[in-house]
Amino acid sequence: MTEALYRTLEAVVQDDLFPTVDLALREGRHIASDELAEYAFIREAQPLLEQFYRRYGCELVQVNDGYFYLRPTGDRLGRRHLSAGEMLVGQALALLYLDPATVQSGGGALRGQVVELLDNLVGKDKLVSALNRRRSGKKAERIAQELVRREIDLALRSLARLGFVELMEGERLRLRPSILRFADPVRGLGDPAAGLQRLIERRDAVLADLEAGDAHEEEDSG
Amino acid sequence: MEDVHRTLGALHRGNTRLQLDTTDLCFLVALRARGEVSAVASFEDEMLVDVFEQVCDLTDPAAPNKRKRATHAIERLREQRLLARVDGAGLMRAGEYAMTRLGAAIVDFYAADEKLTRESLSLLSNILLSQLAEVRAAARGCDSPDAWQTRVIEPLRVTVGDLVGGIERRQRGMDAQQEEVQARIGELLRHDWFSAIAACEELLEDTAATLQELNQVLMRDTGLMLALLQEIEQTAATAAAHAAEAASHTVAEQVERVAAWGGERQRAWSDYYQYVQRYLRTVVRLDPQRALSQRLRDQLAGWLDLPFALCVAEVPSIRLLRELEARVERAPVERPRRSLDDTLSVEPPDATPVALEARVREFLDDRTTSLSEVIRALLPDIPEPERFKAIGRIAALVAQGAHVTQELVPPWTAVPHNLEIQDWNLEPKESV
Repeated sequence: MTEALYRTLEAVVQDDLFPTVDLALREGRHIASDELAEYAFIREAQPLLEQFYRRYGCELVQVNDGYFYLRPTGDRLGRRHLSAGEMLVGQALALLYLDPATVQSGGGALRGQVVELLDNLVGKDKLVSALNRRRSGKKAERIAQELVRREIDLALRSLARLGFVELMEGERLRLRPSILRFADPVRGLGDPAAGLQRLIERRDAVLADLEAGDAHEEEDSG
Repeated sequence: MEDVHRTLGALHRGNTRLQLDTTDLCFLVALRARGEVSAVASFEDEMLVDVFEQVCDLTDPAAPNKRKRATHAIERLREQRLLARVDGAGLMRAGEYAMTRLGAAIVDFYAADEKLTRESLSLLSNILLSQLAEVRAAARGCDSPDAWQTRVIEPLRVTVGDLVGGIERRQRGMDAQQEEVQARIGELLRHDWFSAIAACEELLEDTAATLQELNQVLMRDTGLMLALLQEIEQTAATAAAHAAEAASHTVAEQVERVAAWGGERQRAWSDYYQYVQRYLRTVVRLDPQRALSQRLRDQLAGWLDLPFALCVAEVPSIRLLRELEARVERAPVERPRRSLDDTLSVEPPDATPVALEARVREFLDDRTTSLSEVIRALLPDIPEPERFKAIGRIAALVAQGAHVTQELVPPWTAVPHNLEIQDWNLEPKESV
């Protein structure tokens, strides 16, 4: 059995990586196994970090797909839910991640593929109305498409900050293992609604109200 | 390449292009194969037609008049400098053709098996090392420019350069092989999913092992090559044989490029290896039925009907308070206030404008012939600060009361008190 690298929380905090990792986790970033140093640091210090964040009312979550993130379960640390654009783009990226064609390119995808996938699965008109709720009125198709593209770009930038995807040069994207968090409700072979309910109960997700442009916590029905 | 701009210019001027269809490509490859089997370097007309017909039977069996098509194909390849006529007899008799360097390169790309293996790399690098050792020994004994040229520069440029070029060519073959492996892994997963895991892992391991072996050979041998080349360069520098020094330097750069390839490819493959292993572990093994993709697809398609949002931590940035600054009190802009109770005084009206207008009219009635005449007469009676403005008023009154005729550019005329005006000629207006 190998000896633990960190015996005390003080040793963890003294590590040069601690400030970077701590700030990233608090800002909602997902740290995946492709960030070798940071991921290895969290794994080594995991028991101590779990205790540390529990005092802030947070849970340090490790997922089998190979990533960590911080889940605030109390009110001591702020939290937010993802916007409609971020959710739609995130799910499209997760689908691309699962596609064997992406394996050929080593996890790479193009922005155009995201737009195409959303057009096909959600439908152009619904996509335009879902992403343009703040701007009322009917628009020419060209303008509507431009707005959709802009919203998708915004969502991609935000998802990149959260560690779900890496924006490369030009149109290229590199999908990261944490993008599979968007597939959490449909993991396993059970009822997807029950899967979503589980996520809501452990405060990993909330039901969203697109009309109000906001999400709300569902009251515990139990 | 000596001058890329000149080459580009020549290509552009000559409108150079390559247009080959599948039959043409197959024809070139088949021609090379026939040449190797028959051990000939050039092809007679009849042999070309025969090979083309065989190719045509494969690529376009229903094509009519294959002989005529063969003639056109040969002509097309000649125009594109892929085949060259080597008998020099023109149209006098059936020709004899050889494949050009360009044609051979195209065939090499599709047909030659020049992949980099441990064996081929070891063989090439051993020959290269022995050549470099010979050149080093020769360099030590060179005593004239001719000797440097024949015993050092030429062997470096031709023999050594070609050997290093051979390694580079095989490296490109290895790059293509890696791309094929990546495509094959994608294909395997697409078709067999869970059953493809073992085959994918085997492909990954094989390529990783090959790259590791190649990199080891490259690291060991390129170090020795560079040491030999450095010795040759130093010997040339000491003997002031600058051309030999430059030739050695060029080969050293080529060798460094070859060495860098190994490290870069191994790193890139390592990233890809880890990615695919992670994919196999976290996606394929956990979802043997490949149900997750379809379930996620359904979730996305129906998300607008049952929208949900993931939650993430969000701690706002620490608020930094602004540094305290001594505020400079600036007086507000205002105008002096006047008491509304001030008593009003009676002031006489200013009769100057009316008087001026009357006097101007008098002058116009007297049929004065120019503006300067009016101004000269009136200006002395006007107080000095008012004179400049008064000239403008007089000009306006004159323009109203008389016909102004003027040259295209009215002449400047001096008037009293150091002023100048552009003069007008005046004619009285006819009264109605």
